[in-house]
Amino acid sequence: MPSTAASRILEHYRPPFDATAVKKIKEMGGIVVGKTNMDEFGMGSTTEASAFQVTANPWDLTRVPGGSSGGSAAAVAARQCMVSLGSDTGGSVRQPASFCGVVGLKPTYGRVSRFGLMAYASSLDVIGCFGSTVADAGMLLHAVSGYDRFDSTSSKQDVPEFDTQFLSMDSFESKPLKGVRVGLIRETLEEGVDSGVRSATQEAASHLEALGCVVTEVSLPSFSLGLPAYYVIASSESSSNLSRYDGVRYGNQVMADELNKLYECSRGQGFGGEVKMRILMGTYALSAGYYDAYYKRAQQVRTLIRKDFKAALDHNDILISPAAPSAAYKIGEKKDDPLAMYAGDIMTVNVNLAGLPAIVLPCGLVEGGPSGLPVGLQMIGAAFDEEKLLKVGHIFEQTLKGSGFVPPTLPNVA
Amino acid sequence: MATRALLAVVTASPPRMIQIKASTFSSSLKFQRHITTIARSFSSDTNPSVLQPPDVSRLAETARISLTPSEIEECGAKIRQVIDWFGQLQQVDVSSVEPAIRAEMEGGNLREDAPETFENRESIRASIPSFDEVYLKVPKVLNKE
Repeated sequence: MPSTAASRILEHYRPPFDATAVKKIKEMGGIVVGKTNMDEFGMGSTTEASAFQVTANPWDLTRVPGGSSGGSAAAVAARQCMVSLGSDTGGSVRQPASFCGVVGLKPTYGRVSRFGLMAYASSLDVIGCFGSTVADAGMLLHAVSGYDRFDSTSSKQDVPEFDTQFLSMDSFESKPLKGVRVGLIRETLEEGVDSGVRSATQEAASHLEALGCVVTEVSLPSFSLGLPAYYVIASSESSSNLSRYDGVRYGNQVMADELNKLYECSRGQGFGGEVKMRILMGTYALSAGYYDAYYKRAQQVRTLIRKDFKAALDHNDILISPAAPSAAYKIGEKKDDPLAMYAGDIMTVNVNLAGLPAIVLPCGLVEGGPSGLPVGLQMIGAAFDEEKLLKVGHIFEQTLKGSGFVPPTLPNVA
Repeated sequence: MATRALLAVVTASPPRMIQIKASTFSSSLKFQRHITTIARSFSSDTNPSVLQPPDVSRLAETARISLTPSEIEECGAKIRQVIDWFGQLQQVDVSSVEPAIRAEMEGGNLREDAPETFENRESIRASIPSFDEVYLKVPKVLNKE
């Protein structure tokens, strides 16, 4: 099966092996229906940076599905498949899940083997799961989790039975989440977040309270630093990881009369604009004399962020926030303004920096499109505590009255 | 006429993915490792005012990416904007904060460094753009400074 990372440089590439996650799915009898569209090499938040096509949001075909795993989110939303895999480096599973009204699950760093995942930023990348329900996403996670000797960063922690804990609604007590301590991250409801998103999040918090949770506000003082720290780390690591795409052993080669020219032309013509930009930013941040000022400093900020999360999770079972500051925006709206696009990642990047698990599930609709646009609630857990996230998420979802979050573009879907 | 050269370009990132072992190919083909872009200085306390703005052409050369003049201009403006924005990290007090290479991890999950023959060598060979039985063909390397 062709694997291109949505890049021209890998246009005709057929990998000689399956990723461990895919291998596990096949071994369990899973049917791989196909591959989906994405932002090139995972760099983007809209799927507009694909070298091949732009994916439309099933809720409104003039809007983006989110990114970088926009195709995988849209495919599940449009019921083209039951579940799908994506990768989440700075929110690339959770944000499209929010934009497309599906469940997006980001596991703890190390929970799922990265062997066979084309690397973008090695200290941040994880493989994530999409499903139309929390139970489906949980089942997929269970199938792909576990230690892998081919990934030295994969964890030997036991994989709990994520797939069997989903009780049916009839067996819920009246306050099924009694005593669960929920921390609502204060910094995620400040200026810059759409009012529709803010109200949907507040309503979700009230719903959790009705289920028995104790919801309090928490503060993560280092919160706003996550975005620049993330982009420094991600571009730096990607400049290194993408140096392997040189046209020599695989991928599109542009012949030249001299080796450096071969590299330059193969990469210059094979990579899209956003990819080139991030590689160059990373090259700059890692250059002699600049490493301390940028990369090392960003790593130090990462330590501060981890500490803040740990402190908050010492007093709470889960933390909640919106998944994105807005619902899906129009195709082309942010294409030429990199900082505006990066700003949309504010809710998600810190979780990658801290390596924690998180799930996004649809919690409401805001105005826009033919029937409104979905908005997702993000729940963040302690390291390796996916079980709790799935339990809370499942109960939240099953007790949410009203919409089943099916896009209007679908004809007759149960 | 293209001369034969032996090479692999490799990343400086922490080890985590399988590398196709050299012994899976015929012994006359060796992969040489050659660090491309990263040169780190370990000077402490880099004075932010000493940081020069990005020279996009020079960076492109270092990263082995060719850019058209219009790309240099367009890309350059965006890059400068983002790098300026990175500057806010300089305001953070990080004295006595340890850098975190990645999220907290159990260490040392390394497997034995024993070569294994990869079973699908044909597929690897099929992906090589210029292959001349046993050698990957590339053009000559000029001696640059």
